[in-house]
Amino acid sequence: MPKRTLDPLPSAAFQILLALVDENLHGYGIMRQVALQTENRMRLGPGTLYSSIRVLLENGLIEESGAREDTDTGDERRRYYRLTSSGLKLARSEAERLAGLLRVARAKKILRGRYV
Amino acid sequence: MSEKLYAFFLRLYPARFREEYGEEALQLFRDRSRDEKGFLPRLHLWFDLLFDVTISLPNEYFHLPAPRTVTSVPRRLNGIPTFHVLQGQPVRPGALLSGGVLSFLALSTCWLSLNSSIGSYHSASAQPTSSWTSPESASAGSSDTYANDSGSTGRYALRDNQLSTAERKRLVAAAISNLKSHYYDRAAAQKMADALAAHEKGGDYDSVLDGPAFALRLTQQMREVVPDRHLTFDYFQDSPPPPPGRYSTVLDQDLHTAKQQNCTFEKVELLPRNIGYLKFNFFSDPEDCRVAAMAAMTYINHADAVIFDLRDNRGGYPAMAQFIGSYLFDHPEYWYNPREATTERSWTQSPVAGSNLADKPVFVLVSSRTFSGAEQFAYDLKMLKRATLVGETTAGAAHAGVFHRIDDHFGMAIPEVKAINPYSSTDWAEVGVEPDVKASDATAIDVALKLARLRSTPSK
Repeated sequence: MPKRTLDPLPSAAFQILLALVDENLHGYGIMRQVALQTENRMRLGPGTLYSSIRVLLENGLIEESGAREDTDTGDERRRYYRLTSSGLKLARSEAERLAGLLRVARAKKILRGRYV
Repeated sequence: MSEKLYAFFLRLYPARFREEYGEEALQLFRDRSRDEKGFLPRLHLWFDLLFDVTISLPNEYFHLPAPRTVTSVPRRLNGIPTFHVLQGQPVRPGALLSGGVLSFLALSTCWLSLNSSIGSYHSASAQPTSSWTSPESASAGSSDTYANDSGSTGRYALRDNQLSTAERKRLVAAAISNLKSHYYDRAAAQKMADALAAHEKGGDYDSVLDGPAFALRLTQQMREVVPDRHLTFDYFQDSPPPPPGRYSTVLDQDLHTAKQQNCTFEKVELLPRNIGYLKFNFFSDPEDCRVAAMAAMTYINHADAVIFDLRDNRGGYPAMAQFIGSYLFDHPEYWYNPREATTERSWTQSPVAGSNLADKPVFVLVSSRTFSGAEQFAYDLKMLKRATLVGETTAGAAHAGVFHRIDDHFGMAIPEVKAINPYSSTDWAEVGVEPDVKASDATAIDVALKLARLRSTPSK
């Protein structure tokens, strides 16, 4: 069976990397952060979320930061994930790639208005 | 029950996935169930989950990782027996097919139950979710504007409009519950809820026995706390609520006849002195009428001025209003829609390829019959200083609040999103859109023609 690759970086994986830039989060925390940063356009379901997490873990882009109680609910022990330096590097290079695309789009004058 | 159902779906995933993330996936489901309460959020949750299962399940099998050297005994999910493939080999195609069929069946069941539950709340036919229409249409009910949030059966006798103490108490409780559940500003909702509770405790409603006065009192008291004209507590004498307005058409007819009547484009003409004239009475669904709208706009594309006659326009789909408005600008402009939070879609799709109308004078004929979505079109063009409005003050129906049915006589319109209005602190809700040039219904067209001839520059 083919192994999942990260080239190109899937959108869900990129969003997860971005979600972990500021703080270590558990699965549900990642889901909420992704929903927040995409204005609810992307709501990762458990299957997609943990499947992406596993691939990111296998590629050393994120790592487990140990289990601890959730600070919001304080009632369950959860597995937290944190971004590795490779993960940050990949997220940065993906962002730069997208910024390059945006520059081309601007140059072609297909983007106008205050929202860009 | 729902957790067990989701645990069942998890059993379709490969053993390795369940072993590593099954418990966490279940925990995520519990978290979302805890945070997303209510009928619609819960429905949304299940759609998300089923969509997720449909997408991620084949992916998991296709990209199955190599089995571990040592296979540990998998954990049981929430006490539900699970089936494990210890070899870590992918399951047979037959099992995948079964999973697909099961997902499809579950999705279909959800969809059918949704239809039947909404159908039981109102008998009106399916009105698409995002339309703004005349009072009849609104009262006929739409899937997003009619949700029975009170949980009551809704049937009870209201003799001579007289409310009993128990009924008043129930209605205040329903109002509080609806506010807390749906109003976009949670803190403001809490303040209003507290105010209503305090009024009830203070005996303010003891003397208010009839339905209309009670509804008005509640509306006023909510607005004393938050002056939001889109927020109303409404009373209806009969069930289903009768048309409060004086128009005779209903949305069903609008939808069925729109296509046959050229999507209500009643007149598309080039008048003397090359003035384009469009009269249409409904902003139809762009899905059905985009081509008709494009044809109409193309026909007047080389006009030196444009007159939109919305005197009989009853509203319709905001998307169509925005689509037509897009022809009138050479760059995206913010298109205020009181029903929607600001997104990238809040800007017009300008410039429209080939449109010559971006710099042509525009006039909009309005009357006291100009309603809802048609008022939005007139309001936005006026605020953007893109059109001169000629005629009478419009009806004043913003329909920005989503209607929540409480029972057969009462309901609430509650804004569920905060729409950014950069132009003014108020819009046309209840006050209408003021014309730039006042003219009677009969003379509006002549006044607009005169202005159009003055302002237009004949093209060569």
